[in-house]
Amino acid sequence: MKVLIVGNGLAGTLAAKTIRELDDGAEIEIFGEERYPYYPRPNLIEYLAGRLPYDKLFAFPEGWTERQQIGVRLSETISRIRPAERKIETQAGGVRFYDVLLLATGARAALPPVEGIHGPGVFALRTIVDANELIGHLGTHKRVAVLGGGLLGLEAARAIRAREKEVVVVEYFDRLLPRQLDPAAAAILKAQLEKDGIALRLGAVVREILGVGGVQGLRLASGERIEADTVVVAAGIVPEVALAREAGLAVGRGVVVDDQMRTSAPGVFAAGDVCEHRGRIHGFIPAAFEQARTAAYNMAGQEKPYAGTVPLSTLKVAGLFVTSVGEIDAEGEGTEALVRSLPEAGLYKKIVLREGRLVGGIWMGTKRGAAELGRLVAVSKHVGALKKDLLEDDFDLGEIL
Amino acid sequence: MDKYECTACGYIYDPAVGDPANGFPAGTRFEDLPDTWVCPQCGVPKDLFVKLG
Repeated sequence: MKVLIVGNGLAGTLAAKTIRELDDGAEIEIFGEERYPYYPRPNLIEYLAGRLPYDKLFAFPEGWTERQQIGVRLSETISRIRPAERKIETQAGGVRFYDVLLLATGARAALPPVEGIHGPGVFALRTIVDANELIGHLGTHKRVAVLGGGLLGLEAARAIRAREKEVVVVEYFDRLLPRQLDPAAAAILKAQLEKDGIALRLGAVVREILGVGGVQGLRLASGERIEADTVVVAAGIVPEVALAREAGLAVGRGVVVDDQMRTSAPGVFAAGDVCEHRGRIHGFIPAAFEQARTAAYNMAGQEKPYAGTVPLSTLKVAGLFVTSVGEIDAEGEGTEALVRSLPEAGLYKKIVLREGRLVGGIWMGTKRGAAELGRLVAVSKHVGALKKDLLEDDFDLGEIL
Repeated sequence: MDKYECTACGYIYDPAVGDPANGFPAGTRFEDLPDTWVCPQCGVPKDLFVKLG
């Protein structure tokens, strides 16, 4: 079986590894657009902070892909796919035929419609190239505005702060981590970040990045001006769907896949940030992992269904552990939320139930029980009369797993 | 005792620290973590970890 994989990120690499485990004789070739071997993207944060040296970015030991007999072509851009002929074409003029193809092209940083966003001094933070360019720029600049108060924005702000630069996070929504936290939890987080020297502007709509030949500041919709000499854009992701669209595959915001990660073209699968499953782009590691595994099994001819991944985020910011899983608000019939909050201690625990089943929660200020909460939500565990006890510090969530 | 790195997210399991929040005290070797243990940072299973060094 000839397997081609477009994309050398987590989904592509993990799918290759899994297919190799399932099929000793499969020919597997990965095409990566970047010139670097696979690296876990979150390592870029530690790299940006100056706490991880370049050679430690890559996770897998050198020679790993060769030992697995997985071919990897770096700096190779695929120009077209032709599913009817089961072939792909590379920008360099190469042609490859396949039995099964995986699109794992990921996503790029979204650029909001802000004047000046394409100018010098403005950086995304998706790739090693982005990180190197930003680090280089920070060598001679010191006032950074991060556009976006979501997961990446906050992690990037912390990392930049570690380089002793001034940082302001500018968030469009009225609270930080709008998809992971409710207003009460977000307020606790905000207080903690400000204690750590990270300035925050919420409900702030950026209209223009000011400056000629470099960044001088931001102009908000309110007319207010924020001083900055560097902008980091952390405002979401856009799936890289061009190849799929050009080939006529079904594409929504991402490449549409079914529960077996099949696209609308026979023999073509998709996984990771590029794909859209049941209307969702997940865009986070646990989903990429499960989707890549599912795709690999199905590509190798073994049925394996995927029903989606419960959203789960964990981060440690300003010394505060934050975990958010599933639904964070009690919306609709039969739902209820229970909260235990001690803001001065930075503690906030919330569980969301539907008909007595755990469908989500927020765990802030402690790591204890966070992983179990994630697992309980993943199986929609019925908790019944125990519900209030779950929020107590000494309750062992592992007991009801 | 060897440290292990998660190849999905870069999290490093250091046996000297363990994973006490999930019930594995300092001094627990990676090899002795159960097969059901997952990366505390991103949730992927043990087999995605590689030995460091």
